[in-house]
Amino acid sequence: METEEQEQIEHAVMVLNEKLLGTALGILSGSMLFLATNFLILKGGEHVGAHLALLSVFFPGYRVTFFGSLIGFSYMFVLGFIIGIVIGAVYNKIVRA
Amino acid sequence: MTAKIQPVSCSPGASHTDDTIPPQLLRAIAPLHPTAMGVAWAVVCGGLLTVATLYLMLRGPTLLKFDLLSQFFWGYRVSVAGIFIGLLWGAGVGFVLGYGFALIRNAALWIWLTTVRSRAEMEQYSDFLDRM
Repeated sequence: METEEQEQIEHAVMVLNEKLLGTALGILSGSMLFLATNFLILKGGEHVGAHLALLSVFFPGYRVTFFGSLIGFSYMFVLGFIIGIVIGAVYNKIVRA
Repeated sequence: MTAKIQPVSCSPGASHTDDTIPPQLLRAIAPLHPTAMGVAWAVVCGGLLTVATLYLMLRGPTLLKFDLLSQFFWGYRVSVAGIFIGLLWGAGVGFVLGYGFALIRNAALWIWLTTVRSRAEMEQYSDFLDRM
């Protein structure tokens, strides 16, 4: 690509949509904890999710149960959303400066 | 190269001339700014580790052995000094992650664009000899 189009692409830089990034990260991180919790429940065993349950230190109410996975999803969604908003805001601020 | 980098955002009413890329298309293929992405991730990772350390200090002893992070982050502890060490480590690792993510994403985009353009050119000139 040696045209004006290539120059345009090289000199352009992407601006992020903060809310969309936050929502995407929130759904992704929430789903990860939801799936991890339910995977351990289905796997079973003597001490189900002994290590994952330590997340309750940071997320009060979280347990390695189905109901706990819903609570964990909520916590992680909020955390992921905030992370996405912060990343988007800082990134855009620097890019627009 | 002295041209200034132009931030691209999508505006429905934006117009373009025939020799320029439409803003909506340019927005989809515009590269990420690696340094900006690195700094953004540094803020998030450093902040998360700082807040987590502070929270654990205020909460007191728990079953969670967060000090084990020192296996990766040399000098880190759940202590006042650990807050600053964790902030530095988190920011450093976050910057590398963000910068690396942007670089890889831009490289993948460049490869994809080059492939698409090459295919289009080959299709355009596939019947070149037939026309002679």
